Amino acid sequence: MAEIVAERYTGASIKRSEDPRILTGAGRYVDDIKLPGMLHAAFVRSPLAHGRVLSVDVSAARALPGVVAVLTGADLEAMTVQAPDPLLALFTTGGPTAEFTLLATDKVRFVGDPVAVVIAESRYLAEDGCELADVEYDELPPVMNAAFALDPSSPPLFANLGDNIARPHSRNEFGDVAGTFADADRVVDFHIDVHRHQNVPMEGRACVASWDADLAAMTVYAATQSVHITRNGVATRLGIEGDKIRVLAGDIGGSFGLKIGASREELAVAAASRHLGRPVKWVEDRGENLTASGQAREESFDVRAAVSNDGDLLGLDVKMVIDTGAYPGMGTMFPDIMQAMIPGPYKLAALGFESTAAITNKASYVAYRGPWASETFVRERVLDLIAKDLGLDPVGIRLRNLAARTDPPALMITGRPLVGVTSKESLERVAEMVDYPAFRRRQVEARAQGRYLGIGVATFIEAAPGPRGPDGALGSESMRLRLEEDGIVALFTGQMPHGQSHQTTLAQIAADEFGVPFEQVRVVVGDSDVVPFGLTGGSRSATMTGGVALHGARELKAKVLDFAAHLIEVSAQDLLITDGNVWVRGDPASAIAVSEVARRAASGQFGAEVDAALEVEATYDGGQGGWSGGTHCAIVEVDVETGIVKVERYAAVEDCGALINPAVVEGQIRGGVAQGIGAVLLERSAYGEDGSFQSATFMDYLMPTTCDVPRIEIEHLETVPLDADVNFRGVGEGGMIVAPPTVVNAIEDALSPFGVRIYEQHLPPARILELIAAADSGQ
Amino acid sequence: MADISLTVNGATHTGSPEVRKTLADFLRDDLNLTGTHVGCEHGVCGACTVIVDGRAVRSCLMLAVQAAGSEVTTIEGLATDGGLGTLQQAMWDSHSFQCGFCTPGFVMQATALLSDHPDADEQQIREALSGNICRCTGYQSIIDGVLLAAQRNRTLRNRER
Repeated sequence: MAEIVAERYTGASIKRSEDPRILTGAGRYVDDIKLPGMLHAAFVRSPLAHGRVLSVDVSAARALPGVVAVLTGADLEAMTVQAPDPLLALFTTGGPTAEFTLLATDKVRFVGDPVAVVIAESRYLAEDGCELADVEYDELPPVMNAAFALDPSSPPLFANLGDNIARPHSRNEFGDVAGTFADADRVVDFHIDVHRHQNVPMEGRACVASWDADLAAMTVYAATQSVHITRNGVATRLGIEGDKIRVLAGDIGGSFGLKIGASREELAVAAASRHLGRPVKWVEDRGENLTASGQAREESFDVRAAVSNDGDLLGLDVKMVIDTGAYPGMGTMFPDIMQAMIPGPYKLAALGFESTAAITNKASYVAYRGPWASETFVRERVLDLIAKDLGLDPVGIRLRNLAARTDPPALMITGRPLVGVTSKESLERVAEMVDYPAFRRRQVEARAQGRYLGIGVATFIEAAPGPRGPDGALGSESMRLRLEEDGIVALFTGQMPHGQSHQTTLAQIAADEFGVPFEQVRVVVGDSDVVPFGLTGGSRSATMTGGVALHGARELKAKVLDFAAHLIEVSAQDLLITDGNVWVRGDPASAIAVSEVARRAASGQFGAEVDAALEVEATYDGGQGGWSGGTHCAIVEVDVETGIVKVERYAAVEDCGALINPAVVEGQIRGGVAQGIGAVLLERSAYGEDGSFQSATFMDYLMPTTCDVPRIEIEHLETVPLDADVNFRGVGEGGMIVAPPTVVNAIEDALSPFGVRIYEQHLPPARILELIAAADSGQ
Repeated sequence: MADISLTVNGATHTGSPEVRKTLADFLRDDLNLTGTHVGCEHGVCGACTVIVDGRAVRSCLMLAVQAAGSEVTTIEGLATDGGLGTLQQAMWDSHSFQCGFCTPGFVMQATALLSDHPDADEQQIREALSGNICRCTGYQSIIDGVLLAAQRNRTLRNRER
């Protein structure tokens, strides 16, 4: 008999097990759920940025046939618990926190702020009901930018705070900041702005809440990055025990950081279901998504850089203000991450970092793919600006300033070790890929013909999950694994994939480690009664969940072999599992299917002395962890007559350690880059000075299309294994972190004949023309 | 309400939708064909694309009553014998999609494109799909899937000759 040969899955672009249902229309998203007696919700929303609510008259709406109920802010306040959101409570940085109700009662604080919810037999009728709601407001002066918010004369959005500061000003210093700046050859100042833009998943927020009065229990069908965090939010605000709430999630149409926890609208829908004793569905429409789901970025930075005449970046002193929008939340936590990350992979020896978080009359700040990304934008922009001042090349100034890979590794001035960081290798390789010297020659020739080409590079590192440094913990990830009687290895994970392909990638790892065909692994997600706590976010799942899948499969295999040793009456050390069969080493004829082993274990024929429970609860601490990172390069052409920027070529060299599934990894990188290109050339969440919201449709909020995103060339470095088993590192956010500075650097390079300097991130055609005109006139 | 009769994926359906009901909502709510997704309700994102009388249309911009007497194909109508059609298979092989929400629209738009232009090149594919928004992929994998399907169709046609 031939030897049993196993296929190896990890590292191969295995086709996704998610795809057959997605490609045939058989995916199950929240809007596809229909329950008996289900009602539909629509929200009455504020047309004003800032106003006092004088009266809410919903009598006409309540009288409309088909409308079952209309709940105002006051109604909901009476039927819910006033408590801080448990997710946001984690991020509170001390001091008083803003107090507010689920739906507006006393005040509205941004255009789109929910004021009442109409519950009707159909969404059409619910929206008819919204038209009939009559809300009277007393308009207040809107606070539309952080500078005004921080001015003591601005009207406070929240009475209990008394000002518009979500997080008090703080300053921290690392290294000898004063000495570094005093001794530097040059000190240069910049003001850099990052504009407001947003996640825009193709499926907006959505939920179906279904209250069972007999059981006093709630089922919520959610679009969420974590069924447990959603469950905890509903439990807290509705005053229900967590174990009386089951959160289920199926396919989710993207998120990019938006769908964490339970939003005010989703909590209102859950409360309405309990109130009415019927299931209630709410699916956010695109207008609501753009207006009210949340927005990201919008940070400004006053930067001082201490520089040597040779181009050494010696120190940075940064004053940052973040505009957290109306309802303070995650925006208050990101300044700390930006502070920690702004040195990047460079030798920066001194850093001063100040931050303040302002409250304004805009949609609330939410996490968006690489929420701390502006640190990379600022740093990579500053390096190019310094290079221009000194007549240095952008590649050269980076090579000069990157920390060398040493043993022990260099430490970032903010503390973390740069272990295994291959920024220098990625920069050198990307310059080779695009033949950097040849591009410079072509650029000169093109300029002679009146064409403006530019090249930009930018380098990033991402803590995905980060190195195991002196401060230790990388967190912990749990997974339950079970060998089922049909031979399926079932993985129960708290990851909640919404495009990340976990049902494929985790199965690849477990199949290899346990020894079954890929098709024989089932990844179970999206049921808070069944899966352990988890969250898909922060680019952590490759290491943390990949790691627990590997170690958990190893533990389960050991357990199965111990049991099989009783069956076959050999030592477990002499047993192998290959291709779904347990067999005695050297004797393929001895093979029995793992399904048979599992059936025998379930038969109950063994006594208590034999452990026949073929299930393990595994946890993983991240092992040695590590960084992801890389360098990207864009070549652009700017039409100086129209201001249109075309990205002609885009190359990325990335190091995320060992690849689980290269096609999945490259999909993550390309998707992130596309969002970064969109952020620079197209996307902006725009408000007027009067507080009006100006980008509530896809005709105003412009998304990148097939004609905007070029082919993206990707190469991988896998230079430095850190861990004996788990060297997979996260790759979800890097593209979105590094693409904006890459593209802006290329645009500035293209416009260098005009002397254009760029201190902002949003560069639509009109702005390009303004920059050229301003530089021409010597402004 | 208005009584209508139309053919969807080869089967005749009758119904009495409200006059204001969109074709997308009629397919999803009345016929339980939830494969068609609604992504923007204003005709920009293309997620709701279906084929009506041979042309790709936005089912969020068309009323159900306007489809009376028409032949409609949705993503549920493409799979053959419970398997995948050539385009779907090529998109699976190309890792075309991630979250899958925009997928039905891209598949239907590309189906219409390949039906009219079986030899479409990359630039033609990019232009034909430029009215469909995907937030996850950066589009390259989708375009590669359409190119692969076109190539496989060519091979099939050549073999038949």
